[in-house]
Amino acid sequence: MLKKYPTVRYVLLRSIWYFLTFLVALALNFFLPRLGSDPVEIMMAQGSYSSPEIRKQTEENLRKEFGLVVVDKEGNIVRDENGNAVKASKASQLVNYISQVFRGNLGTSFENQKPVAEIIMEALPWTIALQLPTILFGWIFGNVLGALAAYRRGVFDKVIFPLALLMSSIPFFVFGMVLVYFFGVVWDFFPAIGGYASGITPDFSWEFLKSAGYHYILPFLSIFLILAGGQAIGMRSMGIYELGTDYIKYAKWLGLKETRVLTYLFRNAMLPQLTGLALSIGQMVGGALITEMIFSYPGLGLTMLKAVQTNNYPVIQGVTLLITTCVLLANFTVDILIALLDPRVKASLTMDTK
Amino acid sequence: MAQILEVKDLSLHYLTRFGQKIHAVTDVSFTMKQGEILGVAGESGCGKSTLVNGLMGLFIPPLYPTSGDVLVNGESLMNRSPKDIRENVLSQKVSMIPQGAFNALNPTRKIKDIAADVIAAHSGNKNINKQQVYARLRERFDLFGMETEHILNSYPIQLTAGERQRSVIGISTLLNPKVVIADEPTSALDVTTQKIVIKMIFDLLEKNIFSTMIFITHELPLLRHVAHNIGIMYAGEFVEYGTTIQVVHDPRHPYTRALMGAMLSADSEQKNRKPTTIEGAPPSLAKKIEGCRFAERCPSARPECRQKTQNLRTVGERLVRCDYAE
Amino acid sequence: MLKLLKNLIKEPMFVIGIFLFLTTVLAGLLGPSFYIAQPRSEFGYEAPLAPRGIEVDLSKNTLIHWVVHRGDTLYAKETIKRDSLGNMLNSTTPATYWIGTDNLGQDYMALLLRGLQNSLYVGFLAGIIATTIGTLVGLFAGFKGGIIDDILNMFTNLFIVIPSFVVLVLVSTSFPQGRSLTLIAILIGFTTWPWTARSVRAQAASLRGRDHISLARINGASNLQIIFKHILPYLASYVFMVFIMQVASGILSESAISMIGLGPLGEGATSLGVILNTAKNQSAITDGLWWGIFPAAIVITVIVFALYLLNNSMEGVFNPRLRK
Repeated sequence: MLKKYPTVRYVLLRSIWYFLTFLVALALNFFLPRLGSDPVEIMMAQGSYSSPEIRKQTEENLRKEFGLVVVDKEGNIVRDENGNAVKASKASQLVNYISQVFRGNLGTSFENQKPVAEIIMEALPWTIALQLPTILFGWIFGNVLGALAAYRRGVFDKVIFPLALLMSSIPFFVFGMVLVYFFGVVWDFFPAIGGYASGITPDFSWEFLKSAGYHYILPFLSIFLILAGGQAIGMRSMGIYELGTDYIKYAKWLGLKETRVLTYLFRNAMLPQLTGLALSIGQMVGGALITEMIFSYPGLGLTMLKAVQTNNYPVIQGVTLLITTCVLLANFTVDILIALLDPRVKASLTMDTK
Repeated sequence: MAQILEVKDLSLHYLTRFGQKIHAVTDVSFTMKQGEILGVAGESGCGKSTLVNGLMGLFIPPLYPTSGDVLVNGESLMNRSPKDIRENVLSQKVSMIPQGAFNALNPTRKIKDIAADVIAAHSGNKNINKQQVYARLRERFDLFGMETEHILNSYPIQLTAGERQRSVIGISTLLNPKVVIADEPTSALDVTTQKIVIKMIFDLLEKNIFSTMIFITHELPLLRHVAHNIGIMYAGEFVEYGTTIQVVHDPRHPYTRALMGAMLSADSEQKNRKPTTIEGAPPSLAKKIEGCRFAERCPSARPECRQKTQNLRTVGERLVRCDYAE
Repeated sequence: MLKLLKNLIKEPMFVIGIFLFLTTVLAGLLGPSFYIAQPRSEFGYEAPLAPRGIEVDLSKNTLIHWVVHRGDTLYAKETIKRDSLGNMLNSTTPATYWIGTDNLGQDYMALLLRGLQNSLYVGFLAGIIATTIGTLVGLFAGFKGGIIDDILNMFTNLFIVIPSFVVLVLVSTSFPQGRSLTLIAILIGFTTWPWTARSVRAQAASLRGRDHISLARINGASNLQIIFKHILPYLASYVFMVFIMQVASGILSESAISMIGLGPLGEGATSLGVILNTAKNQSAITDGLWWGIFPAAIVITVIVFALYLLNNSMEGVFNPRLRK
């Protein structure tokens, strides 16, 4: 199949793999919150009810909402002879959940009855605006720094390396707290929390953008610097490894320009780093979400935090699903990028066509 | 005829972190004429690789020249800045075909681009036209009797071992260097490919694409078919230097003899003798050694060998570093 | 082995790393038993070594406690109690706290030591679980190759791309009442093993073709024998380095999950992450109460930094190419 177009074939195979992974993620997203206890019970325990009938009614509505009971075509709960709702089997629960997700229905929030999809859509742009550029630039900056440290060694390396090592061992959120404390509270250079000043409505006015930009700096720095530190460490090791390879020695023997040798080094050391990015993007996003919480940044992190505090299961599940989806998409993109950039992978694609 | 390469009493040392000098190469001298192939043989760690760096004028710490001179076409490579060496010597005067060409090519770059990098690195600040460069490459690679287009447009991984080796030779000789140093250029290849590569080297020499070649190997028998002259290296010194016939068929230095004895060959006389091994290891070069460096391992060593420094002397029309060789 | 140790001791990174590591581990192990916690203060977020005192206002017959709290001097009054002889009864001896108190007035030093102990416990348990599962999966996949490798590899990759953070959040929400330290550690261990599996697999696969393995196979050694006798010993130093990283990631994961409020629950289950989370929820940072966050934040960073230093210096010694 598609032997003539190995790249297309590869992209197709990878998409299928990621789609299957997505289904597994969906199943996990559905079953894991039910692992230790019944979410409906937990939510029921939070409210107070004037009569047992109302309590029962609320509980049944919740179970219906969660797809835990069998529902007929009109949307009414199917009951057995005793009038109790018929429980749906695990498999049909899952199928129901998946079909709802593909229709874009993520349930409704228990707090304000808003559709979860809507709540998430309000938060998503903030998270993407914060995390995408931060991870991208942090990765590039860290790698350039790491490659230079590997190539130059000496004083540059002696300063950069321990610093980067220290930076990479500070958890995202700890560094975020430090920045908030010093720059936001003690010196008051930047606003400590929030995505924009209170009293401004989010639109594309100059005033809003200015305020948002101002609020962007601290969360950006707290993720960017830590991430760059970690990448620099990895790139330095890769770079030193590549420096000892035959092709770098040969390039030097041929008298190639120093800048050219450096690009050889960077290009080759970057590819495993790109694989590393694909592997660690989930961790980065997790760390960055907690940073959002520290800064009360109006993104998915804060949405999740609020939902956790109120046991708002539909919102928690909605957010985790979206995070997983974003991470899978990012992974897929990096996978394809590696195949396009690395002739070795490309060549193996053509050879694999059995 | 003018000498292409003159090496005069070249000594090189490494400086360790603790200020200790390791004399890796001591008093190596030889000259090479147009069209000559010199074979250099010895065990690993005998100073071959260090000598290579010295012959290219590449003194990257911790390697330093101790004394002596290297002249290419009468021009010295000593006391020149790394930048000067890089711009004016490497690839143009002295070029290198590295060991294990399998990994010598940048895996993420096409052959034509690696070759173009060499041209770009030595064209000064002139702006070079990519199409012209490619045309020049095509012309050169056509000489090698390979599928030029396929090779030039491939990444190293898409080529066979032989194709890669020949690409490396093509790239190393691109700027018609005076001296080409080949470090075990055929060791990782099968016999058929070895032959093709050797033939290619002779072709290029005949076509005057390069002028002289230094062929470094630990396989003495191979040199028999390739080299005009052979230098045997031990512990940083030449212990025997002469024509191939003299050194291979009539070795005089005990070390050369031991080396020949340790080799397996397809000769008919091989059946009649068992391969021997050379007991012991070469001496440490960290301190100045009194007496003959091979004395500890020499089967015919005499007590005075350990005290008396041995110098090269003419024995049977070639140079031998042993007072008792006949 | 001894030579490796000698080489390691020459590395300044290793020396600093092992010093920091031993200091924190000793503090975590012994601290909670040896440190005598100061009695609870009636003031939340009392400043470190806060000046405090008692004044007696005889005109109003009251005792006034004062202390610097949240940056301001705070007074608490109580009526003076006298015993039958008419002597003043001084109920509480004013205590000073090395690093202040938390929002409930508890001695922060005691909390911090307890938190350190618990975080180390979670980190090590999670590290052991993840390293064991990961090493076994990686060894079998790498050694067996073929279809078993493919299946295990797919499984590993699946759990690498699905963010472990998400899985942790989802599982933790399903245990709203009972989240012991051990449960958290097990959850972390079970979500982070794919990293170990991946790297061990690559190493094991590279060993598969070695001569001594083939020789053992020809001599009739079983797969298990080969894996445990001929492959694992070669990977021991590597697995140990992976374990160090897993401990660090366990400690970080615990604090991350605690920061969302899904960390360990219950009496005495204070971890460093829980301390930070409480401080964050009490807006300690924005109120400028640095002692609410910095001690715990610094301790986490120091442990992780120490573990990274150890890992890096070992990498340098085991893989000489990285050395200068």
